[in-house]
Amino acid sequence: MEAGKNLSSSRPIKVLLAKPAIDGHDRGIFVLARALRDAGMDVIYAGLLPTPEQVVDIAISEDVDVIGLSLLNGAHMTAFKKVVDLLKERGVEDIAVVGGGIIPDDDKPKLEAIGVTGNYGPGTPLSTIIEHIRKRGEEARKKKEM
Amino acid sequence: MDTLSIVRGITAGDQRIVARAISIIEEDNDRSYEIIRSIYGMTGHAHIIGITGPPGVGKSTMIGVLSRKLTEMGKKVSILAVDASSPFSGGTILGNRIRMQDTLSRYGIYMRSVSNRGMTGGLSRSTWNIVKVLDAAGSDFIIIETVGAGQSDIDIVYLADTVIVTLAPGLGDSIQAIKSGMMEIGDIFVINKMDREDSFFALKDIMDNVYERNGWMPRVVGTNSLKGEGYDDLIRAIDDHRTFSVAHGGKRRIRYREEVRLALSRIVERHVWKEFGKLLESGEMDSYYDEHLDPNTVATEIFAQNNGLSQGNSVERRVEF
Repeated sequence: MEAGKNLSSSRPIKVLLAKPAIDGHDRGIFVLARALRDAGMDVIYAGLLPTPEQVVDIAISEDVDVIGLSLLNGAHMTAFKKVVDLLKERGVEDIAVVGGGIIPDDDKPKLEAIGVTGNYGPGTPLSTIIEHIRKRGEEARKKKEM
Repeated sequence: MDTLSIVRGITAGDQRIVARAISIIEEDNDRSYEIIRSIYGMTGHAHIIGITGPPGVGKSTMIGVLSRKLTEMGKKVSILAVDASSPFSGGTILGNRIRMQDTLSRYGIYMRSVSNRGMTGGLSRSTWNIVKVLDAAGSDFIIIETVGAGQSDIDIVYLADTVIVTLAPGLGDSIQAIKSGMMEIGDIFVINKMDREDSFFALKDIMDNVYERNGWMPRVVGTNSLKGEGYDDLIRAIDDHRTFSVAHGGKRRIRYREEVRLALSRIVERHVWKEFGKLLESGEMDSYYDEHLDPNTVATEIFAQNNGLSQGNSVERRVEF
């Protein structure tokens, strides 16, 4: 650890990981939680079966920079959109939303269009996901500081 | 967002602004102190409950039940949970929320998870100031959950009005292990998981080991968080201790002194690193290493040479044989 590291006034990127629908496949999100921690981020996992409302509540209370959504059950078009809609409804513009899971190629541009980026599937290198979350997190942090 | 709107939002209890304010406080810079300065006059109302104990005894679950009961009694409750950061990456997995999310959503209770940012003692550096934000936001009770590392989690004794040490049956030797540290800091001891085998032995074991301290005899309460049993006793114990500590108001004065001490050491530390940090990176370190000079002598010498306190006497560098 370099000298005086704890005195740094910069705060790590804070990420909320969630599976906002009925989907118990949480191995992937655990691997990702650990990888993000090892990349120096603060990570909150929302637990199994949170509603999109709960996901947005947690994101606001914890003042996160990024919400990482994962679904492997095919509900991404409804559930991811619901999270995005709720954020918009509550006037939150400074939290980035990224997605992942089993997402057909056809759906990716549609998710991008509503602001859910990334949308990585199985086999994506962790470094790719970490880089993307870091980039979106830094963008969100800039908006917060305005 | 300007400081005035933030201060107004905090005092109005606006959860979103409270959340943003806590982030600014965590950054621990001039802006953080400006906010604290502006809200300090509105603090002092909340009763601060610190919850500590070894990992896995049910601290987070207990906070879920306790905050629900207090909210049902018409009290405004806020929760702050501290988790340990990785010593290598500095990152943290904040996992306390999962155990209480249902209660939080249903009752609109504000909860925040923070990383200890490498600090020992069970709290983060900014915990003290975050509590002030929650206090100024109109909380009646602020519940703080420490890291849960066991014996070393004792900073909470300064910060909290009431310290609850949580234990569970079957810890056996670990109860022995925490005796020297935690048995001295609890105002209330809770044996959680009372549905477990041998729970009454655990209860008795603790009762045999608590002694009156500064006029307060610690209470020992058994709870079962699954069924909510024992929580009325716990709330009564908290209330009794609150009445006691209001009557014997010394604790807040001790806390105030500790806060000034912490703030002072933070200023000193920051100053020291600004002055001396670069010396650690200098080439001289290599020559000290090559000379096989002991680190304490090097530190003393660097300090004496660079702070203007040096009297011109060079430090005795090496004992000649």
